[in-house]
Amino acid sequence: MTALVAARPGVANPWVAFLARRLGRLLLSLAVLVTLAFGMIHLIPGDPVRAALGVTAPLELVDARREALGLNDPLATQFVDYVRALFSGDLGISMSSGVPVSETIGQRLPATASLAIAAFVVVMLVAVPLGLGMAVLTRGGRRRGTELGFTSTSAVVAAIPEFLLAVGLVFVFGVTLGWFPVAGRGGASSYVLPVLALSLGPALLLARMVRVEALAVLDEDFVRTARAKRLPQLRVYLRHVFPNALTSTLTIGGLLLSGMIVGTVLVENVFAWPGMGMTIVSSILAKDYPVVQGIVLVYGAAVLLVNLVVDVLLAVADPRSTIREG
Amino acid sequence: MRELSFEGTTVRFGTGRSALTAVDGVDLVVPQGQVVGLVGESGSGKSTLAKAAVGLAPTSGGEIRLDGVPLRSRRDRRKLQLVFQDPHASLDPRMTIGESIAEALPGRRRHAARSAEVARLLELVGLDPARARSLPSGMSGGQRQRVALARALAAEPEVVLADEITSALDVSVQGSVLNLVRDLQRELGLTILFISHNLSVVRYVSDVIAVMYLGRIVEAGPADAVLSAPKHPYTRTLLDAAPAFGVALDDPVPADDARLDTEAPSPHDPPQGCRFHRRCPIGPLTRPERTICAETDPQPGAADRPHRAACHFAAEILEVPAR
Amino acid sequence: MGREQWKAALRHPVGAVAAALLVALALLAVVAPMLWGDAAEETDPAALSQGSTSEHLLGTDALGRDILLRVLVATRYSLGLALLATAICVVIGVLLGVLPAVLGRRAGRLVTAAVNLAVAFPGLLLALFFAVIFGVGARGAVLAIGLAGAPSFARLVQTNVAAVAGRDYVAAARVAGVGRFRLIARHLLPNIGEPLVVNATVLAGGALLAFAGLSFLGLGVQPPAYDWGRLLGEGLDRIYINPAAALAPGVAVVVAGLAFTLLGESIAQVVGVRAVRRRRVPAAEPAPLVAAEPAAAAVLAADDLRVGFPAPGGGWTHPVDGVGLTVRRGETVGIVGESGSGKSLTALAVAQLVPDAAQVTAGRLEVAGVAPLGRADAEVRELLGTKVAMVFQDPMTSFNPSMRVGRQLAEVTRVHERQGKRAALARAVDRLRTVRVPAPERRAHQYPHEFSGGMRQRAMIAMGLMSTPELIIADEPTTALDVTVQRQVLRLLKDVQAETGAAVVLISHDIAVVAQLCERVVVMYAGRVVEELPVDRLGAAAHPYTRALLASVPDLATDRDRPLATIPGRPPDPSDRPEGCAFAPRCEFADDACRMRPSLSAVAADQRAACWHPRTRPLDLTLDAVTGGQA
Repeated sequence: MTALVAARPGVANPWVAFLARRLGRLLLSLAVLVTLAFGMIHLIPGDPVRAALGVTAPLELVDARREALGLNDPLATQFVDYVRALFSGDLGISMSSGVPVSETIGQRLPATASLAIAAFVVVMLVAVPLGLGMAVLTRGGRRRGTELGFTSTSAVVAAIPEFLLAVGLVFVFGVTLGWFPVAGRGGASSYVLPVLALSLGPALLLARMVRVEALAVLDEDFVRTARAKRLPQLRVYLRHVFPNALTSTLTIGGLLLSGMIVGTVLVENVFAWPGMGMTIVSSILAKDYPVVQGIVLVYGAAVLLVNLVVDVLLAVADPRSTIREG
Repeated sequence: MRELSFEGTTVRFGTGRSALTAVDGVDLVVPQGQVVGLVGESGSGKSTLAKAAVGLAPTSGGEIRLDGVPLRSRRDRRKLQLVFQDPHASLDPRMTIGESIAEALPGRRRHAARSAEVARLLELVGLDPARARSLPSGMSGGQRQRVALARALAAEPEVVLADEITSALDVSVQGSVLNLVRDLQRELGLTILFISHNLSVVRYVSDVIAVMYLGRIVEAGPADAVLSAPKHPYTRTLLDAAPAFGVALDDPVPADDARLDTEAPSPHDPPQGCRFHRRCPIGPLTRPERTICAETDPQPGAADRPHRAACHFAAEILEVPAR
Repeated sequence: MGREQWKAALRHPVGAVAAALLVALALLAVVAPMLWGDAAEETDPAALSQGSTSEHLLGTDALGRDILLRVLVATRYSLGLALLATAICVVIGVLLGVLPAVLGRRAGRLVTAAVNLAVAFPGLLLALFFAVIFGVGARGAVLAIGLAGAPSFARLVQTNVAAVAGRDYVAAARVAGVGRFRLIARHLLPNIGEPLVVNATVLAGGALLAFAGLSFLGLGVQPPAYDWGRLLGEGLDRIYINPAAALAPGVAVVVAGLAFTLLGESIAQVVGVRAVRRRRVPAAEPAPLVAAEPAAAAVLAADDLRVGFPAPGGGWTHPVDGVGLTVRRGETVGIVGESGSGKSLTALAVAQLVPDAAQVTAGRLEVAGVAPLGRADAEVRELLGTKVAMVFQDPMTSFNPSMRVGRQLAEVTRVHERQGKRAALARAVDRLRTVRVPAPERRAHQYPHEFSGGMRQRAMIAMGLMSTPELIIADEPTTALDVTVQRQVLRLLKDVQAETGAAVVLISHDIAVVAQLCERVVVMYAGRVVEELPVDRLGAAAHPYTRALLASVPDLATDRDRPLATIPGRPPDPSDRPEGCAFAPRCEFADDACRMRPSLSAVAADQRAACWHPRTRPLDLTLDAVTGGQA
């Protein structure tokens, strides 16, 4: 209906309204995230400090530590203090090492971020051309063999979790062939296996989605219109099919990126990669709750940020989306 | 069967920029035992009015009464039954048609009594009672629409609202469903609000015709009078546009005037004054002196004009040339 | 989901393998701990951390326990924990998912918002969060994985519930007075069952993998208990000494996870739309490069045009089954028929735009002097170029939503006449003005969704006018439009036809619309032409079907006191047409002669009908209308 979209004078720029609404949602999500991170330590049954220090720790030590963490204050006071500290960049102090959590994260974050971003770039570079190409090759039930081969291979590989893929890669390329280092972060070659382990599954998954989406777009009326205009095939695919398959590609791409950010936890543990994933696992095992809290916050905020970027990109890519929200 | 009346019924959707008044202060009476045909184009709010009556759309103003008593509870509303446009969507694919019909039967009954009633209803709409055990998937659109009618009748309604019930059907089936509606109405003395965008279809079944434009009833009256001597220029435009044999496209009609807007205005932002004025063949765009149309809403005085027409110039002769 | 569909899922090769694997795993889970439970605990101090030997096929762990046995025995624990987590996830997910439908509007929206917020976070992050709260160990991990998966499952349920709740049959049940809980039990849940079963299966696979992940990190199963993830973590430390210790549990996890996932996906494939199988078709008879008999007067000539689709049971069905059609230059021809008559597919076949799976054959097909059959796509594109313009039924979906209207028009000129951007756009604006789109300069820069239906249909016609078409095919161009707009679009088509001299083929289910615009009417039924006649002879229609169509549609002059004429029965399915005359089963005049297929033969000067018993009496009822009788 035109009515829904006719530009009306006197209405504020829809972009401003959209961004304001979207930022509002981000702030709300962040608030929930912070509350949950704060609440985590209080939801643990029993005394977290006692649990962390062990049953043999002397009572005075436990009390002193409780006092230092502010756990003896009323809950509301603790929350206010926690939020206030957050704003000044203070994420607390590690219970086991005594190092400020923000410092630990500052050291570990680059390793994790570089891994996730590299993997994301690989995913996009592989998945989009592969998915589009497969859609074009297998449109309208053509090349059943190719289709079956692609769908089953990609289904199998995409179903293998990244840490198992990592183990397999370590065995083949590290242990057997010895081409790449299997642990630690060093030069470019140290990135090959972790990035591969992290990106292979998502790449194939996304390629499948791109293919399905492109096939759906190929069935749309406007593609028939483009064919009726007797446009060259390549133009039909690039101008009429791809831009309209982009929306879902972006949506899924965003989800995959969030998944990959957190997926680094497992991959880092396989490759002894000195990132946040290694740290959060060892901290959970050591019951070093301030560190866990801090890292959960960082992961969560990263995910929310990715979602925001995806939504903005979607709004840019699809001329209808801002209006649809309004 | 009793009288259904809408009094200042208003339905609003959304807020702020996207707010939309789909139905705007509609007054309409569906008298007992009569068929009132409600005609209008897409976006006119005719379906929303029916949905509001049965409680599927929220009213934000006015009353809907049955015999003068406002409909409030769901129990009240069961006395109104709606038949939907798309018979492929309105039957649960997982329930046999017997179950679908039985579900609408009021009160608790024994199994045998229910089956007997279902069989009676199926026969009433011209279907083999043995069909009760089949799923809707094997049935044609016309047969499904008969089932939908049977389900509506099962609830023992006071008023039946038929919302575009033939527009999803093939032309060769449409006739038989229209005949069925007419026969049922005569046999059972049903009170029906019959909604359609097709003037010819509405004309065939209705005693009274009401014309809706942008959320408002712009003209209502006895079917013959409205069609032969329309008082609102929009009704005239609709009549002129209806395709008919022997009427050539190049025979100009008033609404073909190039000075008029070719597009309907946005329902989010209806024009000031008369809502039809920018498309009106006898309005300010063809007769510049008629500034009143662009300034004053003709709705308030409608009740006093012939056919309750929402037009400042309703008294003007707008006869349709004989076809 | 019906039994048939389960069977079909199992017949699918992937589905069969996955199901067999699951059965094997289930057996192993029951049997392995009983057979080898104790042996797997036995430490062999003589064989610590060994590689593969004849005694220990996959080697031993640090305490000298047999890896193979431990992997086999761990099946029960691994599967059991995964299923437990899945169960938690499904129960909470369904509850959260159905809750909005049970609660009122406002409370429901709150639940939905909470679920949406939780879904934004990846499952693993949630699992880590819950693992902290519930503590390290098997119990904590089950709860963590179950709760972490619940939001996305809840969202799935919500989307499905919302989709079903929007259907008319649910609205109908509400109007009929069906209560909220009965509505959920009878209408909502049964109709979302299939996708939920499928997703729960996939979810079980995911839970298995997630559990392995947690155990591998040391957050799941704690010693002395062990599952595959635990074994994997222990094995990875010694991957240089004995790779099998890491690979064996890894393979077990992958195989079990895949079994669940693939079973789910193959069920989904069976439940969903099955891809049309493309079959090798008998090669089309090579069309002569130059038309054998160049019909200068005809812009379209088709003989025995057939469009076939592969049938589900094998063979081909022909929705268009031997259509003959001739359109002279500058002529306006209407094709009338009900849905399923093959009228639209005929038009697409003529324009070489049929779906990929379809096969077009014809005794002869010539469009604008081109014989397209048997030629490569690129060649047809080159030859036809802009000679045939199309106007489609649904103007809402027939424009590319992500491209400005002006550019979509200009594209034609840019590609076919190699004009520059600016010149092409200028022409687009000019053509938009020709079809009377107001403010064409501004409109050209808008996206299709900013146009109303009528304006879009005008723009579609303008697109056809970007060069000079010889034939304009309009397939139900006004069906999606309001009646006042319909008149405008039809008038526009008429003007365009008069100005360009192009021939027009108008396809419609509405014989009155066709009669308004066209000189000649072609009536189609069940994939064939049953009658063709000049518009002014409609009152003397000879085929019973044409006559019934004319009589069954009310117009503004129909006698309201008489029942409408009706046609009993329904059109035949293309895969199951009667022999002989396809209309015979619904025809009151049918007799034995109708078992033979009638061919089109002349009943009057310009009129041909495919009927053994053509009617000669003028139509009494419709005649009034056709000749403009008084109301």
